[in-house]
Amino acid sequence: MEFFRDSKIQFMKYRKYWMILSLVLLLVSAIVVFGARRLNLGIDFAGGTQLTLKFSEPIEVDRLRDIVADAGVPDAVIQSFGVAGANEALIKTPIVEGSEEGSQGLVVSALDAALDNSGAGPDLNRVGREVVESFLTSRDPDARLPGLADSTGLVDQAPYGPIADAILELRREQGLITDWASISALAEVTPESAEALESGARLGKFSVLGAENVGPQIGSELRRKGLLAIVSSMIGMLIYIWFRFELRFGVGALVAVLHDVFITVGLYALAGFEFNLTTIAAFLTLVGYSVNDSVVVFDRVRENLRRSRSRPLEETMNRSLNQTLSRTVLTSGTTLLVVGSILFLGGDVLRGFAFILTIGVIVGTYSSIYVASPFALLWETLFGRGARGRRREARAASR
Amino acid sequence: MKRGLLWKGVIIGLVVLVGALSAYPLGEKISLGLDLRGGTYLVLQVETEDALRAETDKDLARLVQELQDKGLETASGTRTSSTAFDILGVGADRAADVSTEAAEFLPGWDYQRRDDAVAFEMKAQNANLIANQSVKQALETIRNRVDAFGVSEPVIQRQGLEGNRIVVQLPGVDDPERVKKLIKNTAFLDFRLVAYPPDGRGAPSREEILGNYGGRLPDDVEIVSGPIRDSEGNVVAEQYYAVEKVSVITGRDLKDARPGLGDFNQPIVNFFLTHEGGQRFGDVTGANIGRGLAIVLDGKVRSAPTIRAQIRDSGIIEGSFTRQEVEDLSTVLKSGALPAAITYLEERTVGPSLGQDSIDQGLKAGLLGMALVVLTMFLVYKLSGVNAVVALAMNIVLIFGALAYFGATLTLPGIAGIALTIGMAVDANVLVFERIREELRHGRTVKSAIDAGFGKALSSVLDANITTLLAALFLFQFGTGPIRGFAVTLSIGIFASLFSAIFVSRWLFDMILSRRRRVDRLSI
Repeated sequence: MEFFRDSKIQFMKYRKYWMILSLVLLLVSAIVVFGARRLNLGIDFAGGTQLTLKFSEPIEVDRLRDIVADAGVPDAVIQSFGVAGANEALIKTPIVEGSEEGSQGLVVSALDAALDNSGAGPDLNRVGREVVESFLTSRDPDARLPGLADSTGLVDQAPYGPIADAILELRREQGLITDWASISALAEVTPESAEALESGARLGKFSVLGAENVGPQIGSELRRKGLLAIVSSMIGMLIYIWFRFELRFGVGALVAVLHDVFITVGLYALAGFEFNLTTIAAFLTLVGYSVNDSVVVFDRVRENLRRSRSRPLEETMNRSLNQTLSRTVLTSGTTLLVVGSILFLGGDVLRGFAFILTIGVIVGTYSSIYVASPFALLWETLFGRGARGRRREARAASR
Repeated sequence: MKRGLLWKGVIIGLVVLVGALSAYPLGEKISLGLDLRGGTYLVLQVETEDALRAETDKDLARLVQELQDKGLETASGTRTSSTAFDILGVGADRAADVSTEAAEFLPGWDYQRRDDAVAFEMKAQNANLIANQSVKQALETIRNRVDAFGVSEPVIQRQGLEGNRIVVQLPGVDDPERVKKLIKNTAFLDFRLVAYPPDGRGAPSREEILGNYGGRLPDDVEIVSGPIRDSEGNVVAEQYYAVEKVSVITGRDLKDARPGLGDFNQPIVNFFLTHEGGQRFGDVTGANIGRGLAIVLDGKVRSAPTIRAQIRDSGIIEGSFTRQEVEDLSTVLKSGALPAAITYLEERTVGPSLGQDSIDQGLKAGLLGMALVVLTMFLVYKLSGVNAVVALAMNIVLIFGALAYFGATLTLPGIAGIALTIGMAVDANVLVFERIREELRHGRTVKSAIDAGFGKALSSVLDANITTLLAALFLFQFGTGPIRGFAVTLSIGIFASLFSAIFVSRWLFDMILSRRRRVDRLSI
């Protein structure tokens, strides 16, 4: 199968209209980012606390919101998470003034109170391995203790360690243990231990799958570093292209990258995704991809220019674009296949990432044709050799 | 087959073999990031100001003492900031004496006469040294405490070479609150003789103790409270003790501390004293048989047993602890005190089930994407599409091999990076193939089309990959945590795809060409 065999599309002819389209898209982006929706900064940059919780029973987002608000944590963002029926929720709360350590404790204890989740004994859905082990050791249902304390009275073994491990592993797999039967079914758990656990411990109504807290100090640092990474990588690539090609191509590629990043940022914000560290990684990848695409075209332009200096740049560009069109479409296509798969199948955590790359690949392909080359051309007409010559003549004439 | 081709084949085989071997078995060789395997990531800050303040207080007290000893009875001092103090009460005629003393006793300080005081300011170099030492010491203390916690493969390191931040990574830890408490706890332990009630049983209220002393405590005695706990360990009431202000021994005198079980199988801490501490302890306990000895932990009386016999170099701490508490307490006691308070700036805990879901979904999506890419390449380039499949396979093997070889950590963005690399891995091949097609269209023979295709595409391939590599380098330089993992996989992917497109793909074509004397058609 071959695409675009000997195609002769006059890409540069209608460049003005494409530029207008780009400008409109950029304007929409700007309105979204600075006006309508603004950036949804995740806790990586804004600071704050984020909890991922799994509940034993379905719980309304509104109810969670009320509980968190009643706990004295205003402005929490709450959304359901994971596949339907998983009863998982994300709770994001802003920075607690005057503290680096966040609102995790506050939120969890408010949930305990509201869900009637407190009681005697350790909550097997919350405590760590050590606590389970310690609980069992203190009860000693299997009589494993005698003989363990040596003459010095020191205990140097963990007789109930395997049981604690098995229970924690079960929680790892399921996220939340909901019934005692699944505990007694574990090979490591003796009937006596199961009974001791059931009578003395409890299975709480929710577990904390993930907890993150970013203090205000780190948040502002990550923000600065992320921006620095993007800006410096763009400058680095500009310098590389300038060095390898010519300044006009460097400028064209840079404008194309800025174009891609801004439009993608706008669409990303419009879709309501959150900005976090992974987002920065995705944008940097997008920068790399966008330049990559432009460079391949410029490479061809350079080659064609060497062969025929006398032809106008516009014509050479059209020819080069046509010659690289198959490659552009095919590589963008395969990349799209992969990032598209991640977008639809990759799960919640990777979705934002895949979104940026999907949009980025589409916009990046467009811009390598309709933004990078026209800008190199524009730069040439404004500041190129011909332009310089014309200006010199004009000055001479006015004298 | 030509010898050159054979050698190339051997090299390619070796590269793949080395990659595959270093990654095998995958589960053991690739270390997963905390976002995938679950665990706790902490960034904490050592409040170095604390250490500076303590140092300033110490030097101030020394200097005042020294001045008073030298006949300047009126000399007194006051700390003005964490690294500065004023010496007051020194007349203009004696100011020179202060300077002489300071030069001798406090070489790390600058000083100057100001109005009626001598102002001292710690030299910046000295302050840096103290701050630096306090971070190092905190790092060591935290390492001791975490080691005792029994986490496998913990990472505890300073963030950057300078600075007062420490990064702690604890894979598999699902109870971060306890770890945080354990790391932060300063656990100041001291043993004090009980002045009242004499048997160490505790009084129900402050008033009762004050009543005993007629309403005013002696100068060398203070009141300390302690909780009364029930058998479950819950606090049910407070009781009060009058204890001597001077400690018999403190946590500094401990050589070792270990959790253990008491006579009634209740959790206790066994402690062992240094030689010096043991002697002091023996003297005091020997002389005070029958009196209560309060064990004060962080300002609270944990228990106040009656001394029954002289104790020399070891003993127990009891006080209705849970098993977990005695373990934590012995850890904290053994690892020494933190030189300064710490603040948690960042905390990330990922439950393993969350990570497992991400791996499964990422893997599924990646495999589907890969299958689609392979299918596309066969559709577009027919048999030459084999090259693309080889490129993809090599990419995967080399990425995992390099990850294992460099001990890099695979993170969630890293998986995304691999997926993206898969999409772009065929790019170099595509560039070459398109060029070959063009040459064929211009009527060249298969052999010269392949030569020209590879030759002309080379600069595009290099330029395109180097620009992406630049992005990856910046990512690595400025990124943090997971982003760096992404940068690593992306860079490895770029090298792998360069190798497969320039070297392996060429070799495959050459193999085809060498089979027959004349090749008229190329399936591309």
